[in-house]
Amino acid sequence: MIELKNAGKKYQQGQQEIHALRDVSLSIKKGEFLSVMGASGSGKSTLLNLIGGLDQPTGGEIFIDGRPLHGISDDELTLIRRRRVGFIFQFFNLLPILTAVENVSLPLLLEGTPFSQIRPKAVSLLEQMGLGARVEHRPEQLSGGEMQRVAIARALVANPAVLLADEPTGNLDSHTSEDIFMLLKSLNDRGQTIVMVTHDPRAAAYGSRIITLKDGSVSEDISIGGQAA
Amino acid sequence: MSVKYAMLGILAEKDLHGYELKSSFDEKVGEFWSLNYGQIYTTLDRLEKEELVTYDRQTQDKRPDRKIFSITRKGRKELDEWLATPVNRVRALRDEFFVKLVFMDKNNPAPVLDLIEKQKALYLKQMNRLTHQKIELKKKPKAPDALTTELLMDAGLFHAEADIKWLTLCESKIKAAMKK
Repeated sequence: MIELKNAGKKYQQGQQEIHALRDVSLSIKKGEFLSVMGASGSGKSTLLNLIGGLDQPTGGEIFIDGRPLHGISDDELTLIRRRRVGFIFQFFNLLPILTAVENVSLPLLLEGTPFSQIRPKAVSLLEQMGLGARVEHRPEQLSGGEMQRVAIARALVANPAVLLADEPTGNLDSHTSEDIFMLLKSLNDRGQTIVMVTHDPRAAAYGSRIITLKDGSVSEDISIGGQAA
Repeated sequence: MSVKYAMLGILAEKDLHGYELKSSFDEKVGEFWSLNYGQIYTTLDRLEKEELVTYDRQTQDKRPDRKIFSITRKGRKELDEWLATPVNRVRALRDEFFVKLVFMDKNNPAPVLDLIEKQKALYLKQMNRLTHQKIELKKKPKAPDALTTELLMDAGLFHAEADIKWLTLCESKIKAAMKK
């Protein structure tokens, strides 16, 4: 459902041409939980940005559910980003002045849907995340793990085709991280496609497939599948 | 040696004869540690000489008597002290991989870098498998000893992670040394 064909990204830094990503061909199936490993500078964030439509490749092609993500206008890209992709980040990126339920509703509010219509769904998502008692709390009143759960609910509110996670537990302790991964795994068990970039092997190990990037190329591709009995 | 304490720990829960002790040992730590009957009985002999365990003879119809072992007061005290003492010894650097590293050709690091990469991929695969086993365990209704199993799996994951991080550092330092 996500297809990269010789996708590459290069940019100019002074006199030097930097290849952040080189000719990556990769096919991510529906329902897959893909971990992308690699050191800093290996190209993993670039890969995530390309899949998420935050950036466009300088070479090659990218398709999400058959629709091209390359060579389209910024407006089209924004629409795809909003409707097809949900993001979670290391530092949660919640808006501090909004409550949990308002933060979760935000992606649909931006589409022009009235809050009254979104609210029930946002509340139900927060309940699924175990945050039924935190609906009207602001981020500063929540723990790190709770903030990431709100962020996950926000990422899911528009029923995205893929959930993209960028070091989602980089800022959390080991036990809280494990709870977040078990949550992501249960979403994945219910069919949610997930792509997560991380430099942490313990995080990556939750994936059903792990690829390792090195100098902008895929150097390793292993999978035991979530099918492990 | 911790075999001694594992056996004291088992007897602290319940009096058992040798065969039952072996089954209980296998059930609790068998995944990490395998013992044969000989080792079980040698250890029991030693524990008895040290007065940490004692036994009652149980007569059996048409079969030789069997010994039911129980922990003594002294044994319990020694077990409690052992349980409360932190482990001082950090894992010894005696992995097969370390030996390979010692004998590598310092003037030709390419094969070593290749080996490091393969080794890392192997550890990552193991972590992947172990993590998915842990996920399955956590999904099941709580079995007795499930928490212990989970904690030991965590230990395995943290150790493998440390190995991967160390290998990544090796890679980086060897490469830096090549450039000099």
